[in-house]
Amino acid sequence: MKLTFEVFFPALRPWVQNLVNVWPAPFVKPQFASFEVLHILSLILLGGTAILMNLRLVGAGMTDETPSEIYRNLRRWQDLGVIGIVVTGVLIGMANAERLYDSTAFIVKMIALVAGIVLTYGASRPVARADGAVSNGARFWLLVGGALFLLGLGVFVTGTLINVGLFHLLTATALIVLIALTGRLRWIYLAGLIVLIAVQQYLTHVTIGTDDIAKLDPVNKTFFVLYSLWIFGAAAVQLFTKGRGREAGALAKLIAYATILVWVVGAAAGRWIAFA
Amino acid sequence: MIREALVWLEADLGKGAGDTAQSWSQALEGSLNFWNLLEGTHVLTLMLFAGTIFVVDLRLLGVTFRRTPVSVVSDRVLPLTVAGFILMFATGLALFLAKPVVYYHSIWFRAKLVFLAIAMLNIVIFHTRVQRNQAAWDTLAKPPSAARISAALSLISWIAVITMGRFIPYNWFDCGKPIPHVMNVLENCAASEHGAVDKESMAKIAGGRAQ
Repeated sequence: MKLTFEVFFPALRPWVQNLVNVWPAPFVKPQFASFEVLHILSLILLGGTAILMNLRLVGAGMTDETPSEIYRNLRRWQDLGVIGIVVTGVLIGMANAERLYDSTAFIVKMIALVAGIVLTYGASRPVARADGAVSNGARFWLLVGGALFLLGLGVFVTGTLINVGLFHLLTATALIVLIALTGRLRWIYLAGLIVLIAVQQYLTHVTIGTDDIAKLDPVNKTFFVLYSLWIFGAAAVQLFTKGRGREAGALAKLIAYATILVWVVGAAAGRWIAFA
Repeated sequence: MIREALVWLEADLGKGAGDTAQSWSQALEGSLNFWNLLEGTHVLTLMLFAGTIFVVDLRLLGVTFRRTPVSVVSDRVLPLTVAGFILMFATGLALFLAKPVVYYHSIWFRAKLVFLAIAMLNIVIFHTRVQRNQAAWDTLAKPPSAARISAALSLISWIAVITMGRFIPYNWFDCGKPIPHVMNVLENCAASEHGAVDKESMAKIAGGRAQ
C-alpha cells in the first residue's frame, strides 16, 4: 500500500483539489519557479547554519569559537531559513496540492520538517547556547524529535521508488563523519569506504551486467546495509572518541548529528517528490 | 563545433556494438535511479556549499561574527565550502553529460555559466587584490568597502547561479517554440534539431492572415 495523506484523510481530496483556486495560489502558480528558488535559498540558509552550529558541537568546523558564540551569531539567520522554508513551502504546496496529497515522499518531508524544528529549537540550539551542556529539556526534545525522525525514516525506507533517496542520508553522514574524525581513525574510515565502493562497482559493473536488474537489486540493497554499518559505526566511534579536544559530550554530539541529518532527510524527501 | 562535439558526447561516446547499444550519456539519462540520485545530491550539496559561503560573505559584509576575525571564519569555514563545491561540480558535470545538447541550447544554462564565471572571477580578484592587506582589517567588525563589495557580488552571483539552475527544467524558451528573436540567437536555436521560430515573425504572419 502506498502511504500518502489520502490514507489518513480520504475525505480531503475535494478540498485539496480546490486549494489551487484559493488565494494566493492563483498568484503563486504562474511564478512557481521563482517561489521554488526562494524555497531553495531558505533551505540553503537553514542548512548552512545548521551545519556550522552542529559541526561545532561534533568538534569540527569553527572550533576557534565556542558553540554559544556560533549560536549567537547564526540563530537569526537560521530563524530566517526556517520561516522561509515554511512560508514558501506552504505557497508552492498550495499551487501543487494534489500531487503532494498523493506523494509518500511528501509525508516523509512533513515528518522531517516537524522533527527538524523539534530537534533544532528543542535540543540543538539550547545545547549550543549552553556550550555543549545537555539539559533535561534538551534530552526530552531529543527523544521526541528522534522518535519523529525515526518514524520519517521508516516511511522513507518502505516507500516504493523513493527509498533510493536514502542514499542522500548515507552520503551526508559519510561526509560529516569524514569531517569530524581525526588522525588515524579518519584514514581507516576513508580506506574502508573506498574498498566498499570499489567492491560494489566491481560486482555491479563487471561480475553482473549493468542491465540485469534482478541480480543488481539485492546486491545494491546489501551494499546499502554494509555502507550503513560502516558509516554509522564510524559515527558511533566518533561520538565516544576525543578528537580535537574541543567538542561536546557524546549526547550533545548525537543531537548535533541528528539535527543536521534530519534536515538532509527533509530536503532529500522534498527532491524525491519530483521523482516518484 | 562545440555543438558537434556535444552531439558526439551524447550519441556516440561509450556506445558499444548493436542496435540497442547506448552511449554513456544515454545510459545515464535513462538510468532507473542514478540520474535522480545525482540531481538530488547536486541540490542537497547546495546546503554545504552555498550555505557556508553565505556565512563567510555575511561576515565580510559585517553583519555576523563581528567579533571573530575574518581569517578565523574563512580558515574554518572555507574548507567545508570547497568540499561542497567539489561534490557539486562533480555531480553537475555528470548531469551535464546526461543531456549536453539540451543544456547547450538552454538560455538558463548559458546564463548559469556566465554567473559562475563572474563568481569565480570575483574569488580571484578577492584573493589577489582585496585580501592583500587583510591583516589591516582582519579584526574589524565592518571590513573595508572593497571587501564588502566583493562579498555582495559573491552573494548576488551565487544566488543568480542557483536561480538559473532552478530555471533550467522549465521550457519557457525552448528552441522550436515561438520565442523572441533575441532568445533564438542567444540559444543558437538555428543549429538545434527543433530549429528557430521567431515569435515576432509568427505574429506578423498571423496579423497578415487576419487582414
